[in-house]
Amino acid sequence: MFGPVNKSSLNRGTLANITTLRQNWGLMIALFTAALAFPFLPGVEGWMASQAALIVVYIIAAQGVSILTGYTGLVTVGHGGFLAIGAYTSALLTKYFAVDLIIGIISGAIMAGVFGFLLGLVFLRLSGAFMAIGTLGFAFFVGTIVNNIPIFEGREGISLPTNRVLGMEIGDTGFLVISVIALGLTTLLIYRLVHSGVGRAFMALRDAERAAESSGVNRVKYRTLSFTISAAVTGVAGGLNAHIVNYVSAEVFADIWYSVDFLVATVVGGSAMLMGPFIGGFFIVMVPFFLEELADFSFILKGVVLIGVLILAPAGIAGVIARPFQALRAKRICPKSTGQPK
Amino acid sequence: MFGQLFISGVATGALYALTAVAVVVVFRNTRTINLAQGDFAMVGAFAALVFIKDFGLNYYVALFGAVLTCVLLGIAFERIVMRPIADSDWLTLFTATLGMYYVLHGVAGWFWGRDTKAFPVTFDPTPIEVIGGLVSQGHVINMAWAGGIGLMLFWFFRYTKQGIAMRAVTDDPDTAMLMGIPVRFIVLLTWGMAGFLAAFAGVLLAPIVYVAPEMMDEVLIKGYVAAVFGGLYSIPGAILGALMIGITENMAGGYLGSHFKTATAFVMIVVLLAFRPQGLFGIQKRREF
Repeated sequence: MFGPVNKSSLNRGTLANITTLRQNWGLMIALFTAALAFPFLPGVEGWMASQAALIVVYIIAAQGVSILTGYTGLVTVGHGGFLAIGAYTSALLTKYFAVDLIIGIISGAIMAGVFGFLLGLVFLRLSGAFMAIGTLGFAFFVGTIVNNIPIFEGREGISLPTNRVLGMEIGDTGFLVISVIALGLTTLLIYRLVHSGVGRAFMALRDAERAAESSGVNRVKYRTLSFTISAAVTGVAGGLNAHIVNYVSAEVFADIWYSVDFLVATVVGGSAMLMGPFIGGFFIVMVPFFLEELADFSFILKGVVLIGVLILAPAGIAGVIARPFQALRAKRICPKSTGQPK
Repeated sequence: MFGQLFISGVATGALYALTAVAVVVVFRNTRTINLAQGDFAMVGAFAALVFIKDFGLNYYVALFGAVLTCVLLGIAFERIVMRPIADSDWLTLFTATLGMYYVLHGVAGWFWGRDTKAFPVTFDPTPIEVIGGLVSQGHVINMAWAGGIGLMLFWFFRYTKQGIAMRAVTDDPDTAMLMGIPVRFIVLLTWGMAGFLAAFAGVLLAPIVYVAPEMMDEVLIKGYVAAVFGGLYSIPGAILGALMIGITENMAGGYLGSHFKTATAFVMIVVLLAFRPQGLFGIQKRREF
């Protein structure tokens, strides 16, 4: 009557398994403290801090994808485009107006959000495979513009001055601290979003679009909102990515594989779980890093892990980790149950 | 100039059509966008290369060997990877083929190296005049192959029992199963057909783009765009989409400059999807996928 309810998506991140994280504030805070303390440990060199910052960038970008793909159910293969928009906005502002790093990143996020809003309006009626190809087209489009319009300096690239925060120059370590703070803010944003009425509207649209609409969820409003927030979060990642090496070029940002990597990170980690992007981002950056000499094996490993996760744990690696916690919680609520959430 | 660009556009489009049709055939029977389609073709091209170079076989025997390899690859992929997750949602199926893409890329790079290899059968550039334009002989041969395969598909879907069963599964898998059609076998056959088409796409393109693990990436994306253009459910739509993309990008390359060649296909698809979300020949009721 209300159209098909996508049953298999129901186990991807219902309210039941998200709320388990409410008990895990301690874990979250410990994780962030560890990340902030990491660059000050003895024996940690500058390049390690940059590598860690790169992981943070991937995590934030994957969080952006997870808002749209995991919570709202619209598969995107075009978030590399938003990454590029965030990166170039921040880079051009830094180059021509010498703005602060923080202002650069925020304006990158706003610009990406504006484009996300527009794209959301254009693709209002798309879903599934059509949405995927449409967003892919968007990423290609951004790549072509960046490659061919003179102000973006194409493959030559733009070199940026040293990063400045509040008038002080910062190195790799300081940059990592800034990235981790940004990650903390985006994580908090997603947590608040998912537990609010807006997040529930997103998930309702994902699980049963027509039923949600007939219960008063404004599809046009929430779809464009989801697109906007998702793009803005990925824009933050873009701004950070531009400043890790202080260099942006079309060779990097016009690359379509960014978009695919973000999608893979989201799916491997768990697309509708708060922890998902953390695991996925770590995986995507560290696999090629450890297998640097064996690029072919890193491809094979990525593929095998992806397929294995999809067959064995459709809710992602975070879903597997969350399972015992869920069982525990279910037992606490209803001591006589088997521990399986219904 | 116009006729010239048009004819060579048709020649390129004919090769995209092989990929586009395979994408459609797999999608409408299994809801899967097969991102590994290009890599099936890449494996086919490498297989043909090995058969010709290392075993010293004749071109046609090597082509047959490549077809056999790809069909087996498609069937194995269905049995090992896709069957356990056949009932999952769309995103899962999509990313599983992406995983296969990574695996095949890695395996090909490991076995045969990342460098580009020349194909022993060279592309014949001798120009022939075809309706007002000059076309190289190689393109004419490729168009002939693609046309022949198109006719074969028409015959298969129209007159054979398996072809009709395949169309029935497309329309409604549950009813088809109740009517006694072996749906599992038909799905297997679908993946076999994807391999069959991939082998031809790979071997016919090998002399033009040379053989390398990433040789088919761009062709795959164009084939996918063409399939979406035609609405993802219609084989004639996919063929038309492929020819249109071939022609437009050749025109853009000729009149605007080669930078805009790839982008035109995407501008076209974004504009089309903004106004017609189900593609040119799409069916409205299928939108839930």
